[in-house]
Amino acid sequence: MSATVLHTDVGVSDEKQAAAKSAGRRFGALVVRLGAIAAFAAIMAYFVVFAPGFTSTFNLINVVEQSAILGVLAYGMTSVIIGGGSDVTEGGIDLSIAANMGLCAAVYATLLSMGYGDFLSVLAAIAVGMAVGALNALAVVGLGILPLLATLAVLNVAAGMELTLTQNTVVGASSPLLGVLVSGSFLGISALAWALIVFSAIMIVVVHGTSFGLRLYAVGGHPEAARAAGISVPFYVSFTYVLSGFCAAVASILTVSRLSASTPGSGELLLSVLAAALLGTVFSRRFVPTMGGTLLSVLFIGLLANGFQLLNVSSYWVNGVQGALILLVVAITSFARGSEGSR
Amino acid sequence: MTNSMKGLVKALALGLGAACSLAAISGASAEELSLKGKRIGVSAIGTDHYWDLMAFKGIQDRVKELGGEVIALDAGRKDQQQIAQLQTLIAQKPDAIIEQLGNLEVLNPWLQKIRDAGIPLFTVDTATPHAINNTTSNNYNIGAEIALQMVADMGGKGNVLVFNGFYSVPVCKIRYDQLKYVLTSFPDVKIVEPELRDVIPNTVQSAYSNVTDMLTKSPEKGSIGAVWACWDVPQIGATQAVEAAGRNEVKTYGIDGSPEVIKMVMDPKSSAGAVAAQQPYEIGKTSVDNAAKYLAGQKVPPFTFVPSVLINKENAAEKGKPFLDAAEKAGVK
Repeated sequence: MSATVLHTDVGVSDEKQAAAKSAGRRFGALVVRLGAIAAFAAIMAYFVVFAPGFTSTFNLINVVEQSAILGVLAYGMTSVIIGGGSDVTEGGIDLSIAANMGLCAAVYATLLSMGYGDFLSVLAAIAVGMAVGALNALAVVGLGILPLLATLAVLNVAAGMELTLTQNTVVGASSPLLGVLVSGSFLGISALAWALIVFSAIMIVVVHGTSFGLRLYAVGGHPEAARAAGISVPFYVSFTYVLSGFCAAVASILTVSRLSASTPGSGELLLSVLAAALLGTVFSRRFVPTMGGTLLSVLFIGLLANGFQLLNVSSYWVNGVQGALILLVVAITSFARGSEGSR
Repeated sequence: MTNSMKGLVKALALGLGAACSLAAISGASAEELSLKGKRIGVSAIGTDHYWDLMAFKGIQDRVKELGGEVIALDAGRKDQQQIAQLQTLIAQKPDAIIEQLGNLEVLNPWLQKIRDAGIPLFTVDTATPHAINNTTSNNYNIGAEIALQMVADMGGKGNVLVFNGFYSVPVCKIRYDQLKYVLTSFPDVKIVEPELRDVIPNTVQSAYSNVTDMLTKSPEKGSIGAVWACWDVPQIGATQAVEAAGRNEVKTYGIDGSPEVIKMVMDPKSSAGAVAAQQPYEIGKTSVDNAAKYLAGQKVPPFTFVPSVLINKENAAEKGKPFLDAAEKAGVK
């Protein structure tokens, strides 16, 4: 008897403690989140005051232009994280996205140099990007492999195919479309910057303004509930990987325009893409990835490199600061997750 | 100008009045270069290789020596990053930009933009029509010399494994083309097709496995006579692979003169046959001098060659040492 009573007592006090802890944690998370945003703001304010030429329109458009490729890739990554859930080990992630962009760029540049026109070459690049995305979807949804491992394997497939195609060389490319992307401008804003603006608008509207986007969040956040509500979870998760492949293809065309060629080493972008998608969660109240948050963090990463250069601080610091910020955000996110218990 | 002459100039200047002395110094230093009050942007594609780091360091040291301010940008071997850095650099409007290596196809439109913005452009080891001056080694010479040394060591016949992964890098193109040109006179020396691809990063490991595979494919002694690369980091991997396979009849050839490779050539037992050693630190410094001359209104030639030395098995002990000393002095390993 006494044992049962004791047990109940412990249970009650546990619950109380848990509730108090959860509230405390939530408050703590709020403080840390605002702190992180304040740190972002402080860095920007410092640049505004001390970095010569930082706030000039010309410089800011440059940064938007420099952020276009990273931004388009980060949207792909964000959609995968939204649809697959943001658990860092088991949730959605697409490690193949940067390598996929490299492959698409190689396909696009190679076809152009072989004399196929823009229409066919762009179509082929997009088809390849989405096919790689579909391969990810097959591995994750069809075969049930952890996204982290599945997309890691596909990363190697894509990188290997790119090497086979280009023999690790630079493939030069020029075409009417590339010409427009390089030198076109409208209202004083360059074509590449427009590409980011338009792509951002589409992504924000689709993910945050439609019932489709709402269901996507449901699938990622509460897959059981989504399933009970009659939403096809496998379809939505697959869709995000194919969308991510599409983003890789779009980014590849922007890359080829900026570098006048497809070049080896696209895979290097992966860290920045992950950083942008993860940092973006700080801008959401519940620490979930959002398109707007991703856009802000992409611009932040671009401004960071730009501000450091204007201040004549070594570019070696940028990587370090970027890494430290990722660590900070992942730490905050895990901290905040703790309050929601084991859902 | 010798030190004693400098002292004389200083003494003269001190002897004059305060107002006159300034004029005297600036007048006397017409040949003595200065970058006082100038900002020089320096963009390098990467500094992970000995040559790159030495040249990058040479440029920065010299700008500071001449009293200028350096904006030093290392793109970490990322084309995207280099382009972003150049774009921001153009907006910073420095007095001159020095660009060091990279993919010409990627760079050329941006180098054009530098000129369009009215910024004088100087390059290190990068031949482009947009530069006012390119400071480099005489790669036509280097390419022919190392090729001839290889042919001589092979006795005028045999098969060569060639690394040709960086034909889009101008200096590699020149050296490779020179190799091909030399071989037209020696039809018994044949390049094994398909050619090998050197890569960055993991250059040494990748060269090691490529050469090991090719040696396994041609197991008879003497079926391969030499390995050639347009720089010397693949040569490290190739030399290790040849030695590990016990195929000491194969000799390796490369260009740049990293201390590690010079030591290999100096070692009589090593399979490293020869290396053309350049003076990257001097090359970097010289490009700054060219920029300073140009900014002072002097004429600058379209290219400047800094001497290089072919280090082979015969002369390694004597010719190799100064290069190792220079590396040690610059504190770059």
